[in-house]
Amino acid sequence: MAKTILAVDDSGSLRQMVAFSLKAAGYQVIEAVDGQDGLEKAKNQVVDLVLTDQNMPRMDGLTLIKSLRALPTYQRVPILMLTTESSDDMKAKGRAAGANGWLVKPFDPQKLTEVVKKVIG
Amino acid sequence: MSKRKMLGSKVKQLLAGVSDHGVAHLLEVETDLIQTTILLAEAIEKLGTNFLDLHTSVLSQEEQISLIVGTGQVPAENVERLHQIQADIALHINKAVTSLQFQDLTNQLISRTMQRSAGLRELLCTLDVVGNVISADGENEEIEGLLTEVTEKLEQQSIELKSLLRKTVNQEHLNSGDIELF
Repeated sequence: MAKTILAVDDSGSLRQMVAFSLKAAGYQVIEAVDGQDGLEKAKNQVVDLVLTDQNMPRMDGLTLIKSLRALPTYQRVPILMLTTESSDDMKAKGRAAGANGWLVKPFDPQKLTEVVKKVIG
Repeated sequence: MSKRKMLGSKVKQLLAGVSDHGVAHLLEVETDLIQTTILLAEAIEKLGTNFLDLHTSVLSQEEQISLIVGTGQVPAENVERLHQIQADIALHINKAVTSLQFQDLTNQLISRTMQRSAGLRELLCTLDVVGNVISADGENEEIEGLLTEVTEKLEQQSIELKSLLRKTVNQEHLNSGDIELF
């Protein structure tokens, strides 16, 4: 059964490219439009990996990660940030919040697929 | 009216003028930015759809080619060449997907610029408000006091604006970004 990835980003075009890349690699993709939507969808269905942007309305990426890590079902689910931010300070915050990795936009589909395969197979 | 008392009137005029002209220009800037955002959104929607349709067609074509190659009637060198073309197509698709993310990055920059413009309009409105308080025949000391007050208010508003702005986008090229697993 195909593994499921939750892609959280307020940019529709970005979500489209993430979904295209990961579906081509055989994954199922659930899209969320911001952190709040992502949290609700994550609660409805436990996914195999969460890929989230940082700067989003209603709930940003770091807050989403902290909220997910507070859920028993998301203690061990890998969470990767996919964001335009690349500062060491933000990466440290992401890591402290519970992120397992940091990808800087724009992403290359092959590299994205490789890192996802590395994390969840 | 004495020269001294003319100062109050001139300062009022200046503050009102800077505010009015500044706000007017910034509103035009924001209108243009909104239009740019709309055009970019339409462009990416169409590009995205076209890209996905093109990809579907390419996949269908590759399926047909595979069937033909499967008959065993295609010379080996052509088969090799087809495999190479297939690899090239995959490479081009990856590059296209990376490039199509331009709208996300530019949208963030435009959004930040609009936030700053709105903030700047508020700063300029502060000039107008203080200008209204200055009496046309006010004494220098009164005018000086109000100008000091407006300077402090502007500094405070500028600091608040900086804290509210969304983070900037530092990418200067559409090359794929770094990946780090913790």
